[in-house]
Order: sequence, then C-alpha cells, then structure tokens
Amino acid sequence: MKRSPLITLLTGAALGLGLWIASMVAASPAPAGYGTPAAAAAATAPASSAPSSPAVAVAGTSLPATPSPSPSATGGFVIPPHANYVGPVMAGGGAIAIVVHDTAAIAYYCDNGAIEAWLSGVPHHGHLSMTGKNGASSQVNYALGHARGWVAVDGHRYTFSVTAVHAPSGLYRSIAVVRGATVKAGWIVLADGTQVGSLEANPDAAAPTARKAPQLNLTTRTADDGGVTITAKPIDAETGSGF
Amino acid sequence: MAAQSGAPAPLQPATASPGLAKLLVVPSLIGGLVALTLGLYGRLHHATGIALNIAGFSSPGSVKSWLATGAVVFAIIQVGSALVMYGKVPRVAAPSWIGGLHQWSGRIAFLLSVPVAVHCLYALGFQNYSTRVLIHSILGCLFFGAFTVKMLVLPKRGLSGWVLPVLGAIVFAALVLIWFTSAYWFFSTFGIKR
Repeated sequence: MKRSPLITLLTGAALGLGLWIASMVAASPAPAGYGTPAAAAAATAPASSAPSSPAVAVAGTSLPATPSPSPSATGGFVIPPHANYVGPVMAGGGAIAIVVHDTAAIAYYCDNGAIEAWLSGVPHHGHLSMTGKNGASSQVNYALGHARGWVAVDGHRYTFSVTAVHAPSGLYRSIAVVRGATVKAGWIVLADGTQVGSLEANPDAAAPTARKAPQLNLTTRTADDGGVTITAKPIDAETGSGF
Repeated sequence: MAAQSGAPAPLQPATASPGLAKLLVVPSLIGGLVALTLGLYGRLHHATGIALNIAGFSSPGSVKSWLATGAVVFAIIQVGSALVMYGKVPRVAAPSWIGGLHQWSGRIAFLLSVPVAVHCLYALGFQNYSTRVLIHSILGCLFFGAFTVKMLVLPKRGLSGWVLPVLGAIVFAALVLIWFTSAYWFFSTFGIKR
C-alpha cells in the first residue's frame, strides 16, 4: 500500500519510455509511400517498423530518377535532400509551399489575396528557419513525405502540417516587367490541383499590395493578367528549377 | 524516513516545520529534476514533427485532445473524491470505496496523460512561439514534476495536513491549464471531432 504511489510513477515512466521508443522505431524507417493515407494509417502500428533502407523508401515515393545525394537520417527520420511540400495552413484560408533543394530552401505563403510572403532559409538536419521581407518568418521541421511548422506573415502566425508533392503540384513564381513595372506573382498548386496565388503589381514599393493571381495554365505555365501574358517558372526541388 | 515520523511533529507546529522540510526536500528535488529533464529534452531534442499515432483518430492533435480531456475528467473525480475524503462536502459521509476511487482515478488520469506528453516532447518539443504554447510547455513539464512530488510525498508519515491538498491542487491546476492551452484550443479552433 505504501509503495503504490511509487508503482504508479514507475508504471507511468515505463509507459512513457515504451511509447517514446515505439515512436522512434515506428518513425525511423519512413514507411514507403509515407504521406498517403494508407501508409499514414500503417504507421500507427509499431509493427510497421519493418526496416526498409532509405534508398528503397526514396524509390517508393518516386523521387528524382536522376542520381541525387542520398537522404540523411536525423533523429530516426529520413531527411530528403530534395523535396516539395505544399498544403493549406490550419486556419486563415492560405496555403504554404516549401521547396528544399540541397543547401537552399524557398517557401511561399499566400492566401489568394493580399497576404503573402516569400521566405528563404538553409536546411539543417530536417529543420528550416526561414525569413522573408517585412518580418516574415517561419520554422519548419520536415522529413520524407511530410513537413510541419508555422509561418508568421503580417503579424499572424499560421501553423501547418503538409505533405510532399510532385509536379505539376508545387510552387510557381513569375517575375515580369509589364509596361515598365515589375509584377511578381506566386502560385501554390495543391495536391488536388487547386491553385492559391497572389500577385504583386508593385513588389518594390515600401508596402507592396497583392491581389489574387490570375489562373495559371499549368501546361503553358502562363497566366493572363488583364490581357497581359505573364510566364511562370516552377520552383521545383526535383529539377532544381528556380534555385 | 520512518525514524522521522516521531510523535513531536504533529503535536508542535513550531517543530513541525523543520521536520516537514526534511520530508519534502528529496521529493521536491526529484520532482524538479523530472520537470527540468522533460523541459531540456523538449528544448534540445530536435522536434521531429511526427511520432507514433493512434488509429481511429483524424490526427495526433485530436488523439491528444481526447486523451487530455479524459485525464481532466478523471482529475475532476480526483478533486471530488478528495473533498469527500476530507469531509468537505456537507451531508456526504465518505464511503469505504472513496479511497480506491481516488487512487484509481488518479492513476488513470496520469496514465492517460503520459502518451500525450510523449507525443508533445518527441514530435513538438518545448516551444515558445506564442503565449499559449509557452504556458503549455512550461506547465506540461511542471505537471509531471509536481505529480512526481505528490507521489513521493504521499506515503510519508508526519506530514502537515495541508501538504497533500496543496500538492494535489497544484497538480490539478496545472493539468486544467494544460488542457485549456491545448485541447480546449484544439477543439475551439478545429471543432470537436475525433
């Protein structure tokens, strides 16, 4: 009876330790196809920890066919050297795109309207600390198939938990000179093909104003902005385009 | 410790204080160490973003919110049973099973909170990017430290009457605030969902 509180404590500690180890085991091999609902569900069982080499995991997600640097493992997670992540943020209606390419990363947040930010940073063992103009900042943790974190734009912080995507989903940018003025636009193409994009007609102004970007034609990678054709370029981790 | 539980302590409040301090110092140090270890681990370990998930829920956030809500429900039973045990509820005599109810509701509440904490510390870490998150991180570490103190102090004899209620109140208050800064936030932000 006198020992029961200690037993309670030790039971809790053992449970915590067990779950902690199970988390590391379940997460470490980065199940092939991680990010798909089925694989995510499979990851719920410790049994899914059947070891698969990182190389196999990469092949399973059809990352670049061209030779690429091998992924590294940090804290039991496979950190891909090249990855595109896009998805909606949890509240506020905007979307985030994060593109990691070797030693550089570009992120874009926009809400189809006035709130948008381009950020850049340097990947470090699956972590990104990114900054952009006007105090925009972001902290991201990413691993094979998945990225989560937050982005702060215009004093608002948006959290997100997003998955890896492949072209044509991803991030597109256009910087063009139209009638003597620079026009800067960004589009995030979500996994289901939905576009979230903003366009700044005066990106060099002290307080640039943005509006919803015109629909981007993903085949021609052009958009028609009031009769002016603007051309977009993908920012793609797999090809290195845009870096 | 049994040697210290001599007769003088309960009789003389003046001499009770040093004895009490002796009784509390080791549990408090261990509890502090637990809280500090969790906090340092959460801060220094690289938050992974993902961890073991539990099937049947839409996201780790909802799993944790429901587990935390369960812990709070059992913690409320804790407070209620403690009030009855201490005879603070008018016209309710403590039934014989009240001690068992108190112990088991506490055990269940604690064990429900452990998976939540593991996920927090492993996947998210100790964060400070908003007031809510900072309060949650600090209290999360404090909760397990305070609970450790409570468990280590519990079997000791010669405690002043206020010690266990105060420790219990700290643990309960920490848990409720943790719930408000996480599960309540989660449900009010994303809706009450599985």
